[in-house]
Amino acid sequence: MLEALWGEYDDVTPSDRILFETAVIEIAGNIAQHAAAGVPLQFTLNLWVEPDRVEAEFRDHGRRVDIDLDVVALPDDSAESGRGLAMARAAVDEFHYRRDGSTNQWRIVRRRQR
Amino acid sequence: MIEVDTHVGEDAADIRPRGRLTMVVTPQLRTLINETVQAGRARIVVDLAGCEFVDSSGLGALIAGLKTARQAGGDLRIAGVGPQIATVLRLTNLDRVLRPHDTVAGALGAG
Repeated sequence: MLEALWGEYDDVTPSDRILFETAVIEIAGNIAQHAAAGVPLQFTLNLWVEPDRVEAEFRDHGRRVDIDLDVVALPDDSAESGRGLAMARAAVDEFHYRRDGSTNQWRIVRRRQR
Repeated sequence: MIEVDTHVGEDAADIRPRGRLTMVVTPQLRTLINETVQAGRARIVVDLAGCEFVDSSGLGALIAGLKTARQAGGDLRIAGVGPQIATVLRLTNLDRVLRPHDTVAGALGAG
């Protein structure tokens, strides 16, 4: 899906593509692992490419995510898990999560390099 | 898909994941590294030249493999790292513990 997007917007730099895609995959993985908790869960993903930024918004009806994004940090070098959200946050400029009724909503923005 | 080449040395193996190393295939990589180390090949090189994308679960599997190999007196090194993998190693500071080598031979020969 992202490949199709980059095909359409071929002026997005390789570095922006890599960092944005990394963040998108980590959030999708987090939804699959934590919000779904072993049961099939659908989520919607909207993507925008604007002249100054790339943006993604995920919505799912899984469990509330109990996490303080201000304290998301990388674990010890020897840890075998727990890096996903810290990686995602480091890859983008804006990183938001909110619970709206029964909906989880994640939004990330990467400001494009010129 | 993950290939293993055990012909690189008596105690060494070259493991080659292809495609995207994400949570779908990382359990397979973990199992494969464990089995390879248990079979007496604790000097592992994971050749990532055929792998264009690694997520946090893939990094976790590499760290798990590094610990397993070192506990058996060996090591785990990585080679053939592309731009996305170099980026995630840098984002997580794991480039200090999983230093990328250009080639499998270089990874095996490095001290």
